[in-house]
Amino acid sequence: MNKTKKIFAISSPGGHWIQLTRICNGLEGRNQIVYAMPDKLFKAKKDQTVYSVIDVSADDKWKLIPCALQISYILLKERPDTIISTGAAPGAVAIMLGKLFGIHTIWVDSIANVQTISRAGRMIQKRADIFLTQWPHLSDGTKIQHQGSVL
Amino acid sequence: MIFVAVGTQFPFDRLIQCIDEWAAENNMPVHAQIASGKYTPQHASYDRFMTTDDFNEKLTSADLIISHAGMGNIITALENNKPIIVMNRQHQLGEHRNDHQADGLEWMSKLSGVYTASSTDEMCDLLNRKHELHGSEHHDMAQRSRLIAFLDQAINA
Repeated sequence: MNKTKKIFAISSPGGHWIQLTRICNGLEGRNQIVYAMPDKLFKAKKDQTVYSVIDVSADDKWKLIPCALQISYILLKERPDTIISTGAAPGAVAIMLGKLFGIHTIWVDSIANVQTISRAGRMIQKRADIFLTQWPHLSDGTKIQHQGSVL
Repeated sequence: MIFVAVGTQFPFDRLIQCIDEWAAENNMPVHAQIASGKYTPQHASYDRFMTTDDFNEKLTSADLIISHAGMGNIITALENNKPIIVMNRQHQLGEHRNDHQADGLEWMSKLSGVYTASSTDEMCDLLNRKHELHGSEHHDMAQRSRLIAFLDQAINA
């Protein structure tokens, strides 16, 4: 099968990354995926492209600027068709930039956010083309959709 | 062997000290991943941070996983059919930047193979009956397949 679409998949390390890779494992067959995440201990598997980016949280806003520059560089170099993120702040930055560059964007809010949509998710809720929660009760049926979960 | 892991973002000394002391009393081999914790285990062997390969090796050779209430370790434990006990970080003790781990504890406890403790006392109670804890029996991937199918369709529409 032709790998038609190129996906840029980005998240924070830890739980966000585990969820992102579980989703992307299922997408790798039909799509080409380029990853980014902020963890120096992570070793990419063969045939995987994983960019390292600065780790940011919404608490240290000044770091968002170099992070945005790094992600802009990757987007311009890789020219993905779609951006997908499970959070948190680096993913939100990527979604905002994706909107700016006219790239299709998908947000999958972390399954850890049970009671409300995550803070990073709320920041980009209006900007993402597709915005998913992993919890049926957090869906509003239109803009915030529930279409399954990693667990 | 028990493998205890607190993630990479913050230390979780309250959990590490509890497990280390219980393990010393019960003469139980433990390996701990402690991040930037100030408390260094006296009984358990430990790493501050681990590569994914080292982490997976310790996890697969353990018969019980103990963790902060973070999704990454829960997903990994379930996928390997290991029982996992999670204890939530508390915002007021400076253990996380909010209390979302406490919010998650209730639904986590409904997952097969996942046991929850909201205090070190509850953790010790679970450890004292660790022979009764079992890994998830069947790990249902229907919701994950559904999510991936939706995304694949949306991406390639």
